[in-house]
Amino acid sequence: MDRREPSLFIRLFALMSLVLAFGAAVLMTAAWYSARQAADQAYDRLLLGAAYQIADAIQIQDGQPEIELPVSAFELLALSDRDRIFYRVLDPAGHTMTGYERLDDPAAETATPVRAIVENAEFDGENVRVARVVRRFDDPQMRGDAIVIVAQTIEARRALARELTLRSFILVGAMGAIAIGGTIFAVRRALAPIGRLETAIRQRDPLDLTLVDVSTPRELAPFVAEINGFIKRLRGRVELMQQFIADAAHQLRTPLAALEAQTDLLSNDDVSPSTVKHLDRVRARTRQLSRLTNQLLSHAMVAHRERAVANSQVDLTELTRRALDEAIPDTLERDILVTLHAPPEPLIVSGDPVNLAEAVKNILDNAVRHGAPARITVRLLKKSNRAVIEVEDDGPGIPPEQWPRVVQRFGAPSSDGKGSGLGLSIAAEVLEAHGGALFFIEKGSFGFVVVMSLADEERKVA
Amino acid sequence: MRILLVEDTKDVGEAIVGRLSRIGHAVDWELDGTAGMEVLGATSYDLVILDVMLPGMDGFSILSRLRARGSTTPVLILTARSRVEDRVDALDIGADDYLVKPFDFRELEARVRALMRRNSGEATNVLRCGDISIDRLTRMVRVGDCEVHLKRRELTLLEILSSRPGRVFGKDELLDRMFGHDEAPAPNAVELYIGRLRRKIDGARAQIVTVRGFGYQMVIDGPA
Repeated sequence: MDRREPSLFIRLFALMSLVLAFGAAVLMTAAWYSARQAADQAYDRLLLGAAYQIADAIQIQDGQPEIELPVSAFELLALSDRDRIFYRVLDPAGHTMTGYERLDDPAAETATPVRAIVENAEFDGENVRVARVVRRFDDPQMRGDAIVIVAQTIEARRALARELTLRSFILVGAMGAIAIGGTIFAVRRALAPIGRLETAIRQRDPLDLTLVDVSTPRELAPFVAEINGFIKRLRGRVELMQQFIADAAHQLRTPLAALEAQTDLLSNDDVSPSTVKHLDRVRARTRQLSRLTNQLLSHAMVAHRERAVANSQVDLTELTRRALDEAIPDTLERDILVTLHAPPEPLIVSGDPVNLAEAVKNILDNAVRHGAPARITVRLLKKSNRAVIEVEDDGPGIPPEQWPRVVQRFGAPSSDGKGSGLGLSIAAEVLEAHGGALFFIEKGSFGFVVVMSLADEERKVA
Repeated sequence: MRILLVEDTKDVGEAIVGRLSRIGHAVDWELDGTAGMEVLGATSYDLVILDVMLPGMDGFSILSRLRARGSTTPVLILTARSRVEDRVDALDIGADDYLVKPFDFRELEARVRALMRRNSGEATNVLRCGDISIDRLTRMVRVGDCEVHLKRRELTLLEILSSRPGRVFGKDELLDRMFGHDEAPAPNAVELYIGRLRRKIDGARAQIVTVRGFGYQMVIDGPA
């Protein structure tokens, strides 16, 4: 799932923008082209008109062509005040009557006679539009074609084309903006159900196994159905696991209780000293088996609950008090002074009360079993937004080189067969699942402290 | 004292009946929950020991019905279940104590004794003596602002002495009240428990004083 794809919104928006941009480009090109056409058409008419007027002004006087340039023709062309005008009039014999000799006849090479043409050309290094008209003389004295060439620079027509183009561009731009705004709105509206689904899923507790209940459009329904199918399967598994642990607990503990019960009945009957010795061994082994069973079940339960049970508010003081009661049996022969120091106000953390109790019980049990000849002191403290449970005993403790090992499952099975090596690892696992930590402090040769540190409620909220 | 045991595992039931009869109790034993409930409706008991997983009706249901009826009979729950299910704690629905199977039978005996004694005791739950406070219900003992965990028999001794501060309790009287008639405690049992208790309430503004030739008394230090 590391392959991140751009968001649906960005995808849709980018694609729509691309289509719109392409459309706008086509429209703008077309607008520019037709603006130039329109400008040329308008100005070409004036140019031709002027050429015709000049052509009309050619007269045959005594067999000689003569011309008096009509002012009106130039007035017509002067409508575009920035442009310069060039002209040339040729008599039927091909002699320049008036105007610029350098202004070439654009149709000089054309064989077919044409009456009027307009085209682009260059004159004195400037782009010009050239009009050429022909006037035919059928006079007995003068026969042939007189040619009028009028050229005009293209400033005005370019200006007109630009102006027309600009107007079209503004229109296309405005349309584009409206289209993009509309796209954003439409895409957002269309994707809103995805957002709602996302929020609903994000806000769930990871341990919440109720079905997702969000109304979604048809296209999203398969996803929700798939998620819900998965949740149902997971719930099935969780229930199965829970049932399995519960059954295992009952099935294993009942015969163990019976075994313990029967050895209890036996020990009180009159038996020989050697039988008493064997009986004691049986009893010791039974207890060892019971303890191992309890720890394995405890381990399975802790592992299961940490994935299946949502956190609640737990009062650590009350929890520790009950754990003390359970972990320190009345029948313990050693006389241990067990004290609990707790702040007067409740110490609230967010967690699973059963698992936390299991952790505390295991630590206490460990202190009773392997430590404490005479003293166990439990302290509940609030240390800068952490709730801390310290269990100190006056036993030999655990040598520092073994610390990393004892918090691992089966990391420290004791050689005397008393411990299964699970107790501290269960506690460490529970604390880790609660965002806490388990560590040890050595207090000289008179004390060993197991510290359970948990984030307290205020910190969780912050 | 009359005890009802509801337990469907015969091997376990047999041993419980054996052990409790031996210390002088009359034990009725039912093998299923429905029968247990019926018997409870007809007879009154000083203590009920309930297994949780029972045919007919489970231990928790029997306990709830009993408490709903207003009965205050002490109930000890035996359970083989793991707390993997989100079931309520036995203590939260009115059990007075509980044991997880498999259990040590001496532990069972100690708890039974403590429960029977509690019922015959005074009505008030919290007993104060100097800066020692004893909550009979939760068995919580507080010395100053530190809680001390006492074993049931030590608690009994402390309760007896603290109930009448200043009064001298003879050794025989203490033996009687701590152990009853059915046990044969060691001759120095009282001295042993007094010694342990002294260490555990060390630093309190009340102390156990030996009155030579008579016994022991609780003496509260002057107001601090």
